[in-house]
Amino acid sequence: MLKRSWKTTIAGAAVLGASSAFVAPSAQAEDGVLKIGAPLALTGGLADEGKKQKAVWSLWLDKINAKGGIDVGGEKLKVEFVEYDYQTDGKRAGQLAEKLITDDEVDVLMAPFGSGHTKIIAAVAERYQVPMLACVASSVSVYDQGFKYLFGTLAPNTGMTESMVGYFKEKHPSLKKVAVYGRDDVFPKAMATALAASAESGDLEVVYNELYAVGTMDHSAAISAIKAAEPDWVYMTGYTQDLILGRKQMADLGIEAPLVTMVTGPAYREFTEGLGELADGVTSSTWWHHATAYTDTPGAWSSTAEFYKDFTTAYDSDPDYVHASCAAAADVLVDAVERAGSTDKQAVRDALAATEMKTFYGPIDFGDNGMNQGREMPIIQVQGEAIKVLYPAAIADAELELVD
Amino acid sequence: MDISQILANGIVLGALYACIAVGFSLVWGVLNVINMLHGSFIILGGYLTYFAWFYLGLHPILVLPAVALVLYVLGYLVQYAFINKVVAAPVLTTLTLTFGLDMILYNLMTVYFTATPRRVTLDMGSLDIAGVVMPGDRLIGMGLALLLTALLYLVMRGSSIGRAIVAVRMDRQAAALMGIRVNKIYAITFGIGALMAGAAGAVFAMVFPVTTNLTGSFLGKAFVICVIGGLGSVPGALVGGIALGVIESFAGYLLGPQHAITVGFLLMLILLVVRPTGLVGVKGYE
Repeated sequence: MLKRSWKTTIAGAAVLGASSAFVAPSAQAEDGVLKIGAPLALTGGLADEGKKQKAVWSLWLDKINAKGGIDVGGEKLKVEFVEYDYQTDGKRAGQLAEKLITDDEVDVLMAPFGSGHTKIIAAVAERYQVPMLACVASSVSVYDQGFKYLFGTLAPNTGMTESMVGYFKEKHPSLKKVAVYGRDDVFPKAMATALAASAESGDLEVVYNELYAVGTMDHSAAISAIKAAEPDWVYMTGYTQDLILGRKQMADLGIEAPLVTMVTGPAYREFTEGLGELADGVTSSTWWHHATAYTDTPGAWSSTAEFYKDFTTAYDSDPDYVHASCAAAADVLVDAVERAGSTDKQAVRDALAATEMKTFYGPIDFGDNGMNQGREMPIIQVQGEAIKVLYPAAIADAELELVD
Repeated sequence: MDISQILANGIVLGALYACIAVGFSLVWGVLNVINMLHGSFIILGGYLTYFAWFYLGLHPILVLPAVALVLYVLGYLVQYAFINKVVAAPVLTTLTLTFGLDMILYNLMTVYFTATPRRVTLDMGSLDIAGVVMPGDRLIGMGLALLLTALLYLVMRGSSIGRAIVAVRMDRQAAALMGIRVNKIYAITFGIGALMAGAAGAVFAMVFPVTTNLTGSFLGKAFVICVIGGLGSVPGALVGGIALGVIESFAGYLLGPQHAITVGFLLMLILLVVRPTGLVGVKGYE
């Protein structure tokens, strides 16, 4: 662990000189411009995720400004992002958020990747009463602090697991026993815990419920124990490399559960590529997948398909939920500013609180705690070589298939 | 639950672990160099195997000798060009040097290959012997791991190079006085360490996903195995690897997978206190 953190620190320092905001920060607020401040992890351990945010906002910005900007109180405003690299250092993120507010005089803030760093910046935004949108923070603990200026586009983890238990029980009525096996890490652990709780409250028997340590290179002991428990449904969480190995070992050791869920494996192309035929039938839940088909949406993109096309053309890779949620957050912000009729922070905050919007990413409706309550998270399944959406019914394009 | 299945899982895993550690143990034991590059060497071997399979359609077993040879040359050059300059310095100096070289190799692989996990998707099925299921690729991996370890053992015992390596390990100055070119032996030893890492990488590409994220895990396992089995000897790595595999397998089953790694480290700590030479190590290399 020490070794890897040294690597990321030095690599971060090396890249620091090369990184820069894609719009140079100016000292004074300008008329006719909506300024969005974003502290991003462009170097260090979360650099991959920070770069996703930067990439999608760049695409979004081009799209918005190509239309001449946004309509605010009868006037056209250009939109500008002011970004700084906080090097995956939480303390620095807080300092840069403060600089964005006091020095660069941004109108709103966008939070960086992850619940932990979002929490730090949310406290700064609240202190200065600046509206802030969090597009990659799903932990309820970020939103239960009574903050009035914080709004998040992801939905709570528990929403995912409850809808999944309900859906599987409906589609596979003989489902009785579930085995839960999760990586002992923030998000995978939260999902495994939530699923076990949802399964129990849904009258399923949890026959195996264990976590595996970060750094585990082999799952044969756990999978042998799962096999002995004869579950109808195996639910495993972890990073893609864990899930590829786990799925393969399940097949090797002869697990025959008709339902196999891996979070969030199938949401990433490398999962299906790394498993080949073994990926077939694996289900997952995700905040968003490009296979979802929302249409006639306001904002930069009029449909999920249009967003997917623009993104793949620009970056030659598939967008994931980080891209989609962050682009949708920017759409929500513009919608709120347009409804508020000004960039006044209190007016924008109030408009955000009243948001009820359908985006290419899905519906957004902030609850009392600022978290998006309007999302029914898609359940997806690998069928053949395609990713199919099983749930919610409004966007489903396939029926559940059991694993052979 | 059948105990024999847990035992079989542990032994197969242990043989693969031995394959990770044998080159690392040799370099540490002979050169007194803690080779922080070892995990990245394994992953480099994995990538070479994966690319040969993906782009050329070559089976990992066919590619293994070529990958091992490439890694041998790389290891020899690294030792000859860099490590030989400081090989007599305290262990911290060589550790820092290999750490720095590892950062370069690790980051080059991450930039050019990306950290995206890849896998050689060969379906080799499973073998069911009296209810004990053994995955085909792991069985082949175990066979190759044992074969490579046995070959290394024979080379160390039966060849003049092997005897020179053992002589240098036992007494560098005396070996030099006997006409052995110590620096060359060091480079060959480091090359063999890298060769074993490359061969392990080729075997692992069939069993584990190949990603730079795993370099640290491989290195960590190599450390634990060397301490458990004992430094500087091929049997030490084999015994240490199989012991760790079996212990992790039983601990994962009895105490839960969350604690499997902890139990392995705990055993390492106990051995450091009560038997610093490891289970079959040679005194003087603890």
